[in-house]
Amino acid sequence: MWFAHGRLLTVLAWVALFILPLVLSDWNAALFAQYVTYGIFALSLALIWGGAGILSFGQAIFFGLGACSMALVTLGKLPLLGDSAWVGLLLALIIPTLAAAVLGWILFQGRALAGAQLGIVTLCAAFVAEIAARRWDFVGGFNGLFGIPPMTGLDGDILSGFATSYVVLGAALLSYLIALAVLRSPLGTVLAAIRNNESRTAHFGYDVRLYKIFVFALSGALAGLAGALFALQFGFVSPTLIGFGLSTEALIWVAVGGRGVLMAAFLGALIVRSSESVLSSALDQYWLLALGIVFVATVVFAPQGLLGNVLRLPSPRRFATPKKLEEKSRSVGQVEPDAK
Amino acid sequence: MESLQSRRTSDASRDPTSAVDAGNTVEQAIRMYAMTAQRAENNESRQPPALEVVGVSKSFGGLVVLDGLTFELERGAMTCILGPNGCGKTTLFNLITGALPPDDGEIRIRGVSVGGLPPHLISRKGVVRKFQVPGIYPELTVAENLEVPLVAGGPGNGPIRLLFGGAGAKANAERRNELLELCGLSRKFDTPVANLAHGERQRLEIAMLLARDSDLLLLDEPTAGMSAAETRAVAELVVRLRDEHGKAVLVIEHDMAFVRELGCPIIVMVRGRVIASGSYQTVSRDPAVIASYLGKAR
Amino acid sequence: MADVIALFLDTLSFTLTLLLVTLGLVVIFGMMNVINMAHGEFFLLGAYVVVVVTGAGGSFWLALVLAPLVLAFIGFALEWLVIRHIYHRFIDTILATWGISIALKQAITIMFGPGLQSVPNPLPGTIDLAGIEYPLYRLFIMAMGLLLAAGTYLVFFRTPIGLTARGVIANRAMSASLGINTRRLDWATFAFGAALAGFAGAVMAPIMSVDPQMGVGFLVPSFLAVLVGGVNSLVGALLGSALIGGTSTGLSAYLSQADTQILVFLLAMMVIRFFPNGLTGGKR
Repeated sequence: MWFAHGRLLTVLAWVALFILPLVLSDWNAALFAQYVTYGIFALSLALIWGGAGILSFGQAIFFGLGACSMALVTLGKLPLLGDSAWVGLLLALIIPTLAAAVLGWILFQGRALAGAQLGIVTLCAAFVAEIAARRWDFVGGFNGLFGIPPMTGLDGDILSGFATSYVVLGAALLSYLIALAVLRSPLGTVLAAIRNNESRTAHFGYDVRLYKIFVFALSGALAGLAGALFALQFGFVSPTLIGFGLSTEALIWVAVGGRGVLMAAFLGALIVRSSESVLSSALDQYWLLALGIVFVATVVFAPQGLLGNVLRLPSPRRFATPKKLEEKSRSVGQVEPDAK
Repeated sequence: MESLQSRRTSDASRDPTSAVDAGNTVEQAIRMYAMTAQRAENNESRQPPALEVVGVSKSFGGLVVLDGLTFELERGAMTCILGPNGCGKTTLFNLITGALPPDDGEIRIRGVSVGGLPPHLISRKGVVRKFQVPGIYPELTVAENLEVPLVAGGPGNGPIRLLFGGAGAKANAERRNELLELCGLSRKFDTPVANLAHGERQRLEIAMLLARDSDLLLLDEPTAGMSAAETRAVAELVVRLRDEHGKAVLVIEHDMAFVRELGCPIIVMVRGRVIASGSYQTVSRDPAVIASYLGKAR
Repeated sequence: MADVIALFLDTLSFTLTLLLVTLGLVVIFGMMNVINMAHGEFFLLGAYVVVVVTGAGGSFWLALVLAPLVLAFIGFALEWLVIRHIYHRFIDTILATWGISIALKQAITIMFGPGLQSVPNPLPGTIDLAGIEYPLYRLFIMAMGLLLAAGTYLVFFRTPIGLTARGVIANRAMSASLGINTRRLDWATFAFGAALAGFAGAVMAPIMSVDPQMGVGFLVPSFLAVLVGGVNSLVGALLGSALIGGTSTGLSAYLSQADTQILVFLLAMMVIRFFPNGLTGGKR
């Protein structure tokens, strides 16, 4: 019953999010859309981290790949594919998914890397990815790619901030529902089992590696989606996007929001990001210091996140036992009744 | 009714090959006959044993843990492995389930060689294992814990299949409810296991083993930390699993009372080798066993 | 020939500095099971101690002594404030130390600004070595590195406290039940690891560009060294540092800095792929 609040609050939160652009100025609505984009990125991280226990310091690699794919297409740098943003979106979904699958295939091998080692390896991977991106002129080298055409409506006019925020919200809701469906299905249960005790789960007959690669690839797709939307809104893509800076920022959003609850992680991104805009003008460089301290405090004292408990959803319906079964008294471990 | 029969079974027949039981119902007699007939049929059609361990060796660094170990477990039969700590019992289980590869020798499950395969593939050949340390998932609810082994046994258990509910969602729900009943945790299906009492966790673990529905059960010290009453109950259950469900069971144990209760053939291991095997009576009188156990024989 | 000698010497100096940082990491991880993401910042802070002391007119040598002391204190404080609450939550220690690193880096940026600081070279000039002119200070760095590494190994392998420490690394629970005060050992270890990193930073300050980002530049290679060498092994730290240091320096003679980093990373990944517990197998 405490959990029932979670469902209600989640629905209310979504309603509020969808109403918000109506009361914001166009410029603020555009800003809001950017935060929601980061929220999608946070969802992708919560999926692997909260869902399967995979701690990645390099999730932004896939964000960057998505942004880059969109940029390359819409800037006409891949003539074979044309320059439609839809094709860009498609590429922004496919490339990160493939990259995540390959990286996952390498990382989740055999006697798999322990969680901590995985974290370090992904950190180094992000570090190196940024270096590699800086060197590659095709993707803009040190400066990156800019001049990416923004989203246009059906009439060919550039979308207003208002319209953009609804496009992004729609994408966010879709991402949320997909991630939620995964985590609430038996697939999600197995991922949670992998998170708790990987060896035990393998002994039950599950190909643990396949599961991890699957969820890693899916989260790569979501991150790529966020990246593509980012590119369309900001108009530029720089090599820093792919590095560990953004990756670890996202870790902070998800940790502060609540890594175990998707909606909490999503809102964590929105809250931290919007706080930054408000507070960094007030606190200036102390903002980052404060954020670091808040992050540490959350990890130590509130590991479930600030919103985790409030937004937790009740168990999936398929687990409910019919009431009449509870009355039968057969059980193991108790002295059994004689007559039957 | 069934429970009473099985209690009589374990009381009456110490020696599982004896087909005579005192004061039985006709039903029980028929069951015993069927069992013997099945065994005869097995031998006749030469169905491969549930488990064959042939000349298996394993060393860690310079330490030889298993040394040319060889034994067999027929289908629908049960065997207990006894031995002092460090004699290689758990390592043996690790080799059978694929947690470690054997250095030498062969392991066959129902005639199929499984040496060197990863755990998940071996599991699909029909093995489930209870670990020495409790294997329930701490962060999950009771119902979720049961779901994991339940769905694992389906025709396909890859991520995509499970995303869409896995094979036979309805049948699984029924089976899950059955198991919840069985371990007396129907009301607590939604409880995180961290909130369960110790006894409840033990029952959940056993229910999870049953959920996996394998023909070969490996039980590593199943009565560790249990009271006398709980031990008896587990013994009954294990015997029932063999008799009613035809499962092959391999048990590692220290608890002599439990082993005697089970009334099954015993293999005694010392330092990676079999030093004695046979019924409880035989083994407890074996001089080599007495020598290693020094007074444990009762 | 002169090139080869110069290359060899460069490799040695980089390796030894890397070893200092890596030793600190391994000691902390082996003893406390904590992966210290703030280690790069400890290195950074050491360098900044030198900046402060020499900026105030003090001698470099004074700074060199002060840096490990300051870092030991900071390490102790952080252990007491943060780390001791989360030992049992292994993954969370990574996050918490990462948060600490962000906070520390920002604190430095606030205090000193994001720009480059320069530290005067206390031993300018070169020395004639087998026909080449090699900077004196670099030789000093190597000597210091060797000294400290040797000292650390001596302490761990030849003294009673070292034996105790290795006992704790091998089996913490057992050690506790034998009456060893693991708590005290914990903060002492963290402080010691921090001090090693701080010393390394101080030693490197005269020849590196000192800015708030320099920590990460050493963190990544040192993590790779730990992963390649083996997370739980002091000898592994040596091996890993040698391999990473050697490969980096060797390759950078032929490739650009960026390409070197990429290649070293890929090679390290391959090693880890086949030896998930490092080349020493993690046992020690």
